[in-house]
Amino acid sequence: MEIKEHPSVEKKKIAPDKCVLTGKGDWYFPQSDIYETPDNFTILIDMPGVDTEHITIDLRDNELIINGEVSQEAYRDEKVLYNEYAIGHYHRHFVISDAINRDKIEAKMSDGVLSLVLPKAEHIKPRKIEVKAE
Amino acid sequence: MGLIKWERTGPLDTLAHIQGEMSDLLNVLSSAPRGEGYAAMEFPPIIVSLNESSVFVRAELPGIRTSDLDIQVMDDVLTIKGERKPVAFGVKTTYLRRERSYGTFARSIMLPEKADVEKVTASYKNGVLLVTLPRAAEAKPKQVVIQKA
Repeated sequence: MEIKEHPSVEKKKIAPDKCVLTGKGDWYFPQSDIYETPDNFTILIDMPGVDTEHITIDLRDNELIINGEVSQEAYRDEKVLYNEYAIGHYHRHFVISDAINRDKIEAKMSDGVLSLVLPKAEHIKPRKIEVKAE
Repeated sequence: MGLIKWERTGPLDTLAHIQGEMSDLLNVLSSAPRGEGYAAMEFPPIIVSLNESSVFVRAELPGIRTSDLDIQVMDDVLTIKGERKPVAFGVKTTYLRRERSYGTFARSIMLPEKADVEKVTASYKNGVLLVTLPRAAEAKPKQVVIQKA
């Protein structure tokens, strides 16, 4: 029998004592996937409800800091009857090493998923060393 | 032969330990999303809201193609079905971290009121699905005029 996977729900709130947060509203820890291909690393981060304009990605020293802010204006004239998820901003940071070519990091946002492509630096890519005949 | 220092434990040390455990527990509990206390959460998480004309159902469904979603309304039951497909991998790709979940899901929601089935609309923006269900005419409050005898 085929085993089927089913998505689950998990949303973690960031405890304020773990990091310094500014701005109104709650902050959440988005889920992410990281995978590696021969040429680059890709990070996928789920940030439902975040506009492309409200994402900031900073690279400071070794840290890649990602913030996504949600606007809550659309809910004003509605009465909420049932609530299963909290609306809040997203924050996540990753420490990156020298193995990444920092000038060529690309980010793309589509359907609430941010994808970051981190190309590998030339010096860590596998290279074939030719043997010279004398 | 080495000497080992005898750690003198006072009676209050145990209390401090219990206090630490309790505050850890409270941290875990307070980090749970608000609005819990309902049955175990199903995917996708939803918010149901209402205004004078419509019922709104929002669902957090990041990274799903609209062609992979199937939304049906029958009387006062809304069903959201779909599949979240993993990224198509080529050879030589490996996962380093996997937190996002994939797979098929189906969820039926009992609406607070009957909806006007013909006029239901759905939109998908930034990973959030919004289903707008206009309230059926009989569900809207009707003003009753008192007639003088």
